[in-house]
Amino acid sequence: MATRLLARRIWSVTVKDFRRLPVTVSASSSYSSSLTHSPRPQPLLSRSHSLPLISYRGVSFNVQDQDDFTERVINSDLPVVIDFHAQWCGPCKILGPRLEKAIAKQKGRVTMAKVDIDEHTDLAIEYGVSAVPTVIAMRGGDVIDQFVGIKDEDQLDSFVKKLIGQ
Amino acid sequence: MAALYSRSRLKLLLRSALHLSNRTLTGSGGKFDYDLLVIGGGSGGLACSKEAAQLGQKVAVLDYVEPSVRGTKWGLGGTCVNVGCIPKKLMHQAALLGSAVKDAQKYGWQIPQPVSHDWATLAESVQNYVKSLNWGHRVQLQDRKVKYMNMKGSLVDDHTVRCLSSRGKEMTVTARNILIATGGRPKYPTHVPGALEFGISSDDLFWLKETPGKTLVVGASYVGLECAGFLTGIGLEATVMVRSIALRGFDQQMSRLVTDYMQGYGTRFCWDCVPKKVEKLPSGLLQVTWTDSRTGQDHQDTFNSVLWAVGRAPETGTLNLQQVGVELDGDTRKVMVADDERTSVPNIYAIGDIAQGRPELTPTAIHAGKLLARRLAGLSSQLMDYSNVPTTVFTPLEYGCVGLSEEEAERRYGKDKIEVYHAFYKPLEFTVAERDSSQCYIKVVCERDGDQKVVGLHFTGLNAGEVTQGFALSLRCGLSYAQLRDSVGIHPTCAEELTKIYITKRSGLDATVTGC
Repeated sequence: MATRLLARRIWSVTVKDFRRLPVTVSASSSYSSSLTHSPRPQPLLSRSHSLPLISYRGVSFNVQDQDDFTERVINSDLPVVIDFHAQWCGPCKILGPRLEKAIAKQKGRVTMAKVDIDEHTDLAIEYGVSAVPTVIAMRGGDVIDQFVGIKDEDQLDSFVKKLIGQ
Repeated sequence: MAALYSRSRLKLLLRSALHLSNRTLTGSGGKFDYDLLVIGGGSGGLACSKEAAQLGQKVAVLDYVEPSVRGTKWGLGGTCVNVGCIPKKLMHQAALLGSAVKDAQKYGWQIPQPVSHDWATLAESVQNYVKSLNWGHRVQLQDRKVKYMNMKGSLVDDHTVRCLSSRGKEMTVTARNILIATGGRPKYPTHVPGALEFGISSDDLFWLKETPGKTLVVGASYVGLECAGFLTGIGLEATVMVRSIALRGFDQQMSRLVTDYMQGYGTRFCWDCVPKKVEKLPSGLLQVTWTDSRTGQDHQDTFNSVLWAVGRAPETGTLNLQQVGVELDGDTRKVMVADDERTSVPNIYAIGDIAQGRPELTPTAIHAGKLLARRLAGLSSQLMDYSNVPTTVFTPLEYGCVGLSEEEAERRYGKDKIEVYHAFYKPLEFTVAERDSSQCYIKVVCERDGDQKVVGLHFTGLNAGEVTQGFALSLRCGLSYAQLRDSVGIHPTCAEELTKIYITKRSGLDATVTGC
């Protein structure tokens, strides 16, 4: 999965601004052969490059599709809390508002992406979601932490704080 | 030295023999895309695919739900999960709770009567649970490394399947072995004007967002009776229209007890009636005209819903089976299978409702699927034993049975060669609740001679499924009447009455027994 995440980030970054970015990828051999545009070797995916990323400050949003997820979650400036939920899941309806509250408390330092697992089954499967709610904490495209099931407000506060790095 | 040489030759021979028996350790070895392709993601298909994958086979499952006439569709899991056993049992439970609430007052509960029921709440809860099962199955396939495709399959040749998605995307897949497990769908009486336009089937009932209201259930199979039963139980007016007999194929004495109870419970029955036409009135109500075949007279009444429960048809229409050489039964149009589930094409198999002569039950499809997977992997030669399969009809008074009906036993052994023990009993729970137990009954059909081997066991009462399960196992182990009488009951239960049974039908004595 890490390889795939890495490859994803390279792919999306390349699509956006391939002239400025490195393409020699030793970790992801399956992609390197196709990305032979730029000859300049540079540190991989350093955040100092000005990439046209959109940042959503303090807002929770519903993920629309795979590209949307890559753009707004994996490539997010901010740390992201991903809420995998389902229409048919009772506990999800309780956890959802609690999560929003915990996120709002951080006043824009973290954002939340909501993924309906029936609408985005492939995405849910990719992140190993079996039961819902499953909440994943992501920073710079890496999974930092996760939990399954309901948590109370205090637990959610510390989960979010840990993600931000407090 | 010579002994060693011959031993290694033996090993070589064994290994090549195993190769011939379809076993692959490292996938299909390049010739086919998959070792096993399963068409149909229901009870049988999923069980077989998961078992096969676990045994190292490369497996894919195609599941596709053609929307019902009304447009209802559902997710992965097949009939049982989506429009059968699961939602049925949950709605049956809702009805039982209604009766419990009524009994509760006699047990001291201060519940303001009358208590009303809200369909929307029940439907949403049931539908949410079913959707969680759809997801669960999806995860299971993923975990077991079974490739899942939400596509409709049809056979191109004996190793090739064409897959079509709902968006029109098409692909071709090849497999060493193919399993057909596409099940069945409810039949519509297309000769009855208005049947298709205005009626619904069990495919739709469990997914209705609004109450079905006053319902006419046409058909007295277990589907019809179970549905009419729980609709009555949640407070709706339900009528069952019966062409000739109820619960065809089941013991008819037991069937009469079930329907007698339902009549007392509040379900109306139109015996010996056939629907003639269904029309929609300006009010939105459905007007049904039917003929009473005893008198030849026509009758009419209005309903909110008409539920067709007139049988199920196998889903073979779009599989392209006959062109590939898979033979179907002339009458039922189900797929003809041998004892090892093989069809007329050597590498194509069929299990579950689609297969001719098999019980239309989830547990048999699952078990057959697992055994088939083991045989395909070359690990076993065990065949599925379809005899003495227990089942339960979840009508308001439940009916559990295993083995032969009394009629079938008489046919096979002769009336003189069987002994039927029976008893009318009263569940303790009914006493305080002042409920009528006239149809609570047990019947054990035995061989007349020797130890009196039990060939059939029948039980109407509460929790019939739970009661019957254990006795079904004992039947498979060769239960005799002597052993039954020798076992000690658990007290106070209804099941213990089976261990105390002693009055024979032959004696003509009154079979009513008392508890303590």
